Amino acid sequence: MASVSELYDVGWEEMRDKLRKWREDNCRNSEQIVDVGEELISEHGSKLGDDIWIIYEQVMIAALDCSRDDLALTCLQELRKQFPDSHRVKRLSGMRLEALERYDEANKHYDAILQDDPTNTAARKRKISILKAQGKSAEAIRELNEYLEQFVGDQEAWHELSELYINEHDYGKAAFCLEELMMTNPHNHLYCEQYAEVKYTQGGLENLELSRKYFAQALRLNNRNMRALFGLYMLAGRGTKENKCSVKAVEEMLESMQITMS
Amino acid sequence: MGEVELSCRAYVKMYLHACLFPRCSINGLLLSSSSAGGAVCVTDCVPLLHSHLPLAPITQLALTQVDVWCSQTQQRIVGYYQANACVSDSSPTPCALKIADKIAEQFNNAVLLMIDGGKMSPDYRVPPIVMYERKDSRWTLKDKHTIMLRQWEETRAIASQMLESGDHMLLVDFDSHLDDITKDWTNQKLNNKIAELASPANGNV
Repeated sequence: MASVSELYDVGWEEMRDKLRKWREDNCRNSEQIVDVGEELISEHGSKLGDDIWIIYEQVMIAALDCSRDDLALTCLQELRKQFPDSHRVKRLSGMRLEALERYDEANKHYDAILQDDPTNTAARKRKISILKAQGKSAEAIRELNEYLEQFVGDQEAWHELSELYINEHDYGKAAFCLEELMMTNPHNHLYCEQYAEVKYTQGGLENLELSRKYFAQALRLNNRNMRALFGLYMLAGRGTKENKCSVKAVEEMLESMQITMS
Repeated sequence: MGEVELSCRAYVKMYLHACLFPRCSINGLLLSSSSAGGAVCVTDCVPLLHSHLPLAPITQLALTQVDVWCSQTQQRIVGYYQANACVSDSSPTPCALKIADKIAEQFNNAVLLMIDGGKMSPDYRVPPIVMYERKDSRWTLKDKHTIMLRQWEETRAIASQMLESGDHMLLVDFDSHLDDITKDWTNQKLNNKIAELASPANGNV
């Protein structure tokens, strides 16, 4: 099998920079990270200097995502050697146990971290992730709510909570979470559009009115947001027909954008 | 209570859809190009979403667009499939039941298909699917013997091969189409690839 550097004609510096970009953008393209990272570590590890530790962490998490326990363990062992008492590494050990579905042991790891440092948000969030993985949505929601009472500014947590509520069909509470996100991120078109979708799903005249407003707002923030555009058209064509999506309005819009299926 | 046949093309696309988004719940529609009456032949599928499945607007939009496309191409929507993000639970969610109900309003013998993520690994030799049919206004488990996949071994082989060679990256679902409107949610390219891989003797593709 050709190596990454051969396939894409890149040098080790480009591979390292690519990994950094993916780290910064928080991408979950785990298969790619594993391919690039594994080669970078094995062939060019000595050239990376101190960067190698954060790369070990990144590759380890990606390896867990791809069920590559061999690679994950290798990275973890290197990190353990270098940072023997680190909570951050302990959390990675916990994540490995999660990947192996050894949830009780993983919880013990996180509890140990929290005893040492009760403010460790990473460990708390991992515990909530375990509840989610086990399908215990109600408990995950409860724990996440408690977490947010303490850490009100955690955007990621608010968004996770909105997703959990949506899956439980508790649209009112999902809307509340999205409102929090919109308040702190008024220029984020995605939150506006998701809020509009939730309001649409709730139904009823007031909610549909709000939905239309927020689809419009999302479009104003980003005029290429297709979901917002379609949402707006669907609501514009309504009139008195409460629950029927206006086929004609959508067809007209598609025609005006000259989108064809062929 | 009739028989349901699942074509190679429908199965492979569903399978690849589930493989493309292993961390998300995914869903889609099952289509048939055969005339009504007798066995339900699922000849194709349209992958729909991989995020926010319970939310209404995009689902409604997708149903409308697929409906329009079906009437233009002599197909009909005969069912719905879903794969849950949580691999250990393959039971239909409330939103799956809702959408399946809607489809059943238009087509009596609609099927609800759940993909069992736990059985998708290569060592499983049986199709990782669970089918439900509507009896007395409730969705009940279908008798396994009324579900047919012709040339299952070949279908399974095609699905594995396409996954290995990364063809699942070519699959476009409605969500991806909304992210990039130029992408084709009818997946003609993938359909052609599947047809190429299937043996000439398999007339059902």
